[in-house]
This record gives sequence, structure tokens and C-alpha cells, in this order.
Amino acid sequence: MAKINKIFSNILRLLAVAATVVAIVFMVTSHDSAQVLNLTFTAKYSYTPAFKFFVVGEAIAGGYTVISILLSFKTLFWRIIVFLDMVATVLLASSISAALAIAQVGKKGSAHAGWLPVCGQVPHFCDRVTVALLAGFAAAVIYFVILLCSLYAVL
Amino acid sequence: MALQNEDKLEVGYSSLQPKPKKWVLLMLRLLAFFATAAATVVMGLNKETKTLVVATVGTTLIKATLTAKFQHTPAFVFFVIANGLASIHNLVMIMGDSFGQKLDYKGLRLAMIAILDMMTVALISGGASAAAFMAELGKNGNSHARWNSICDKYKTFCDHGGGALIASFAGLILMLIISVMSIIKLLIKPKPDSTIVVP
Repeated sequence: MAKINKIFSNILRLLAVAATVVAIVFMVTSHDSAQVLNLTFTAKYSYTPAFKFFVVGEAIAGGYTVISILLSFKTLFWRIIVFLDMVATVLLASSISAALAIAQVGKKGSAHAGWLPVCGQVPHFCDRVTVALLAGFAAAVIYFVILLCSLYAVL
Repeated sequence: MALQNEDKLEVGYSSLQPKPKKWVLLMLRLLAFFATAAATVVMGLNKETKTLVVATVGTTLIKATLTAKFQHTPAFVFFVIANGLASIHNLVMIMGDSFGQKLDYKGLRLAMIAILDMMTVALISGGASAAAFMAELGKNGNSHARWNSICDKYKTFCDHGGGALIASFAGLILMLIISVMSIIKLLIKPKPDSTIVVP
């Protein structure tokens, strides 16, 4: 049972690494520019601190997952893995929440604050960011299942 | 014979260990409950109204009333809901620790508490980070997207929001410690099949 749990957990970790890599790649390569009334309107992920935090958070979680996969071949489940998995889950949840909050404002705008939505002018940017956010959300959900597997392994 | 007595003494000592931890855990849960409840209430009642004179027609002044409410921003709504759920969770856990010591479900009580604590930590962290970045956007604006900052116009709204955020981050740190302690309680639970062999 422990072996099946370990194999299942490692498969999930590989999926999580893939999801974080997709999220990072699509977020970093998302840039678009448009000409609006003689003004050049560029959109890059680095213009928003929330998206930068998203990329950093996913990178840290992805790196930790790779390390945990490599280390799981050496020894059985340590008890410390539960705590580190919890930290990674919290980090992923935090990253995706922040990025989603700002992306929602970018897509719908905020009538009360006088902020216009930007997705109409830079659709390519918005599409790529959407894919990145979907991958980030999938990574967070997968990581929660990984956390439950680790908890079950040390119960 | 002396060895068995020593082992029996060890078992007795380890069953006394969780008692000081129980008080610490209860106090931490109480503090976390107050922090998240404060964050919920302060952000939930966050509202500021400004009246501007828009035009003058003859002698009458036409006024426009602008409000800033937390409901206008989905991130703040999520913040209020997440902190509300977290304070309810802490309240239920405090009640369960104080009055419902015997409640158990197939021996999974500690595991359920640990899992629920972890879910609450993830929830609070999501709510706090979304609201924090939204507040940063409101304070600094975004020059690339032509979004102006709103904090210079609605100073009280921003101040109260900042206070709620600080309370929520304090609650997050406390919940993180509580969650770690719950998992530790789960891990050091004495297993029933590893008893001392008494010939």
C-alpha cells in the first residue's frame, strides 16, 4: 500500500511540475502591444506585481517538486515532506489567488474605480495569461491531492 | 524487571506530554479566531462616501455622491468570505476541543482536524494575498494600464482595508503554526500496536 501510494504521489508530482512549467512559460511569454489613438499600449506580465509573484511562486513550487521527486527515490516518505508539501500548497494557492484577482480587474475593469478593461486592446496577452492561470489553478488542486497522499503515508 | 518498570514510566510520561500543548493550541486558536474575525468585520464594514459638487445651476449646487465599498471588488469579497469561514472553523475547533473531547469518527478525529486546518490555511492565504495585491493596485495604480490610484481620494477606505489585511496576515501566521501543531499531534500519536512487550 505504501508503494502504491508512493508511485501515485510521484505521478501527481510530475503532473504538478508540468502544470507549473506550463504556467510559467505561458505567463512569461505573454506580451502584446496595440496602437490606441497614437499611443502605444504594451502589456507585459512584468508590469503587474501580482503576475511577477505568480511566476516566482510557481517557480519555487515547481523546483521543490522536482527536488522531492528526486529525493523520494532515495528514502521512503519522511515526515518532513508533509510540512514542506503544506508550504508548497499554501504558496500555490496564494499565487493563483493574487494573479486571478488582478486578471479579473484586467478583464472586466472596475467601473467604480474608473479602471477600463484592457483585454479588448491586447487580446493575445489576455489569452496567454488565461492559459497560464488555468495551469496554475490545476497545479494548486493537484498539490492539494499530493498533500493528502503525503499525510496518508505518514498516518 | 527494572527494564519493564522503566518502559512503563516512559509510556506514562509520554501520555502526559500533550497536556501543555493542549493549552497552547487552544490559546493559539483563540488568537487566530480573534484575528480573522477582526479582519472580517473591519473589511465587511469598510465603506466610504464622498460628496462632490459637480455643477452649479443658478444657486443650487448639484452634488454627486461616490461611495467606495468592499463589495465593488471581488477580491475583497473573497477576502471577507475566506476570513469569515476561517473564524467559523476556529470557533468550531475551539468548541470541539473544549466540550467535545469524546467525539470521534472511526479514530480519524486528529486526521480530520489536521486536514481541515490545512484547508483553512490555504483558504486564508488565498484571500489575504488576493486582497493584498488588490490593495497595492488601489494604492499605486498601474501606469501601464492607465489605472489611477484611488487611495488619495478614499483615504479612510484604504486605511481600514490595510488594517484588515494586517489582521488577516497575523491570522494566517497563527493558523500556519496551529496547522503544524495539529500535524505534529497526528504524527506523535502513540500507535496501538507498538506497545511494550511484557512477558
